[in-house]
Amino acid sequence: MILLLPILLPVIGGCFVFRQKNEQARDRLVLWLVGLTAALTALVCLLPVRTLQLTTIQGTMHLALANDGLARFFMVLFTGIWAPVSVFSLPYIRHAGREGQFLGFYTMTLGVLMGLCMAKNFVTLYMFFEMMTLLTLPLVLHNGTSAARRAGFRYLGYSVFGAGMALAGFFFLSYYLTTPDFCPGGALDLPRAALHRPLLIFVWFLMTVGFGAKAGMMPMQAWLPAAHPVAPAPASAVLSGVVTKGGVLAIIRVTYYTFSPAYLAGSWAQSALLALALCTVFTGSMLALREKQLKKRLAYSTVSQISYVLLGLLLLSPDGVGAALLQAVFHAVAKDTLFLAAGAIIMSTNFARVDQLRGIGKRMPVTMACFTAASLSLIGIPPMSGFVSKWYLASAALEGAPPWAGPAAVSVLIVSALLTAAYLLPVAAEGFFPGAGFIAERREVGRRMTVPMAVFSAAALVLGLFPGPLLRWTAELAARLF
Amino acid sequence: MHQYLSLPILFPVVMGLGLLVVRPARKLARSRYVMVSVVLTSLFALLGIQMAYRYGGDALVCVLVRFSASFSISLRIDGPSMVYGALAAVLWPVVTVYSLEYMEHEGHEDRFFGFWLISFGVVLGIAFAEDFLSLYFFYELLTLSTLPLVMHSMDEKARYAGRKYVLYSLSGAAFAFIGIVFLLNFGTTLDFTYGGVLDPARIAGNETTLLWVFVCAFFGFGVKAAVFPFHGWLPDASVAPTPVSALLHAAAVVKAGAFAVIRLIYYGFGPDFLRGTFAQTIVMAAAAVTIVYGSARALRTPHLKRRLAFSTVSNLSYILFALTLMSPAGLTGALTHMVYHAVIKITLFCCAGSIIVGSGREYVYELEGLGQRMPAVFGCFTVSALALIGLPPLGGFAGKWMIASAAVESLNPLAYAGIGALILSTLLTTLYLMTIVVRAWFPVGELDTAALARLRDPGPRMTVPLAALTVLGTALALASGPLIRFLWAVAHGSL
Repeated sequence: MILLLPILLPVIGGCFVFRQKNEQARDRLVLWLVGLTAALTALVCLLPVRTLQLTTIQGTMHLALANDGLARFFMVLFTGIWAPVSVFSLPYIRHAGREGQFLGFYTMTLGVLMGLCMAKNFVTLYMFFEMMTLLTLPLVLHNGTSAARRAGFRYLGYSVFGAGMALAGFFFLSYYLTTPDFCPGGALDLPRAALHRPLLIFVWFLMTVGFGAKAGMMPMQAWLPAAHPVAPAPASAVLSGVVTKGGVLAIIRVTYYTFSPAYLAGSWAQSALLALALCTVFTGSMLALREKQLKKRLAYSTVSQISYVLLGLLLLSPDGVGAALLQAVFHAVAKDTLFLAAGAIIMSTNFARVDQLRGIGKRMPVTMACFTAASLSLIGIPPMSGFVSKWYLASAALEGAPPWAGPAAVSVLIVSALLTAAYLLPVAAEGFFPGAGFIAERREVGRRMTVPMAVFSAAALVLGLFPGPLLRWTAELAARLF
Repeated sequence: MHQYLSLPILFPVVMGLGLLVVRPARKLARSRYVMVSVVLTSLFALLGIQMAYRYGGDALVCVLVRFSASFSISLRIDGPSMVYGALAAVLWPVVTVYSLEYMEHEGHEDRFFGFWLISFGVVLGIAFAEDFLSLYFFYELLTLSTLPLVMHSMDEKARYAGRKYVLYSLSGAAFAFIGIVFLLNFGTTLDFTYGGVLDPARIAGNETTLLWVFVCAFFGFGVKAAVFPFHGWLPDASVAPTPVSALLHAAAVVKAGAFAVIRLIYYGFGPDFLRGTFAQTIVMAAAAVTIVYGSARALRTPHLKRRLAFSTVSNLSYILFALTLMSPAGLTGALTHMVYHAVIKITLFCCAGSIIVGSGREYVYELEGLGQRMPAVFGCFTVSALALIGLPPLGGFAGKWMIASAAVESLNPLAYAGIGALILSTLLTTLYLMTIVVRAWFPVGELDTAALARLRDPGPRMTVPLAALTVLGTALALASGPLIRFLWAVAHGSL
């Protein structure tokens, strides 16, 4: 029963946020809802693993929740990101307008994400996945421009088609499972699955590409660079930081909790998907470099960085999974800082393009300090946390099969790191060192916006200096899958 | 007792004829008359179904007209009869409440409700028919009794739509009749028998001919079920008043086409005879093509009711595709989607009608910002749209799941392609329905606030049926376990 609370509280509470006319009351309501959900998440994580059966569809398909290891990991990550961004979004959205609508959907999305984490079987996962797409759609549409609407429909189309591909795959897959529920290490009926390996490998490929659309993997990544620039900054932050991780979570559930890594290792699909992921890493960084609009540059960066995570997952080794989970956390933290900083810049100066940001460091030192710290993490420079995840990714790639993946991955990682430096560092450099004769007044944003950014940047640093507990957690999660 | 089944069929026909002859002067009297007739008919039908469920279909066999020793118009309730009959009996009163309010805007209610009542009786006749001849009789009668409803406004477009409807339907029925004649010659009986009536001794050597006849008959009955390329009458028929589009052309008439195909395949030619043949390939391909074609056309159509009509074309082919799998699992999937789609599509059409009546706007691009002004209507539309798209746990998902599972089980490569068609259609459905939802609730650009301010939700006599239908759809979806178990039993011939 208690598993239902982190879902229902934000969803039902979110409905009240729409109606609340008093601004102070509404802000407080949002913060209370998000805070309570975080507390409930902590509670759910401390409880032993238990299952909750919801209704049944057509008699044999159950909707069920369980707070297993992976669920806890992602619930903590999602609420950890959601809370500071909520604080940031309150003053930001007041500046943008139509706060009730934004904050309402924002709060409800958190509940659905909790459901996504705790989904115990594919149908439940699919349900929450589609709900997540539908509830985040209004966030993309928020600014009410035709560009926003076009981007929204692109988002909807890619997400629904991707989820549909995964569903189609599951129709076939369900005949080869011992149980419809997710089991660490896989739920395949191995004797029967061995007979039809070609079909099932293709099914895995289909499902991964389908869910990969949400994670911005090629060839279905086009919605990301369209949706992020038109959405308000807090929405872009959670889209990049959290919603894409929803796609990652779904891929983990399919690959490691339905299929088993041993069954999939060495197949053509693994090679093809690895190639797609590496391609995305490279292309995303290249496109980011060419892009002058700051938020779109960060969107391309997300496309690239999430495929680091997928790279780790597709190595099908314990080290790969551990590295992927680390990258998921560190990317979320760093990318959200960058998007919040971009939002702060837009709100304070209305500058959206990179070439307008000369001297921005003088105007907004705190914001740009956070931006710089996050950039360093994203590039992978020690002692920032990004270095830890990329190091582990590289070493996992070198150890794992297939043999060509190791050198290819390491080269792509290095090139991408250089490109990342090229598209992030100049912004910081020009911001802080605009050249002689540049006079700018300080126009920093308020504390409710700088504190969340500072929290994320501090997290990026601290997790880099003291990665031990997180390393142990991810290693433990990964080990259980093999 | 053995004549009981004539009651749910003859009573509404007589009451309908009565209304056509005696035109009551007062609106209230007519409304009461219509409502009482419809409700009583529903009760009679549901009671008959209940009795057939309890005592078996044979207890209630009823001969209406006997032509000769082997030919008669007779009625008997078996599994599929219960499903289709209950669907009609439950949905007719709800839509009648809605249409009593709606038709005040259209006029000529006497003529309308007279044929409305007659059509109800005829639909029940199709549901309860015992054999192919009776089915054919009521099938033709349905075309004739619904024609005045399609042509109701009697303007140029309506008359064109009516002519097209009649032409398509009667031609289709003629082709279907060929199938019935062959069944008569090569089968043991014309009575519906689970598993088919073909006599193996008589068909030996004539299989190819029979398969071609089947394809003929499939497309013949498929006209009413809007299979490509004979779907053309349905979008044009959307000029009819909304209650007609909603109930008849989303639920009763088009489902009659699907129902006839069920009888043709599972109670006539027999799935075992048809499975694995070229005939199955042809009909399955036609259904799969229609699934995608209907959705694609829907996306390109800006007129709201026509868009929903194309959506019906597509969704009916979900049902037909499931039927062409020639297996009990396929039949289960077809029946599941038949039930859920009927409720959902009626709701969507009634919402469209409310929008047209309330605001005069017929095109999707005119709906910017209407959500705030008509929240009840658009709320119901949104829920039903999500159901049709297939968001679990709502109704559309259960239907798609059952159909896709049956397709996987069939081990037929064309069926796998059909699954691809289903997924593509899901994407297209999402796009063509969510456009409306997004435009209504998240408007873009300059809004004509003065015009919008004058808009309001329609009165309770329209919004209450809308809400009831939405709740019904959701409740059915949440109760999918027992419902699908029942449909499974029907599909395996145990009823």
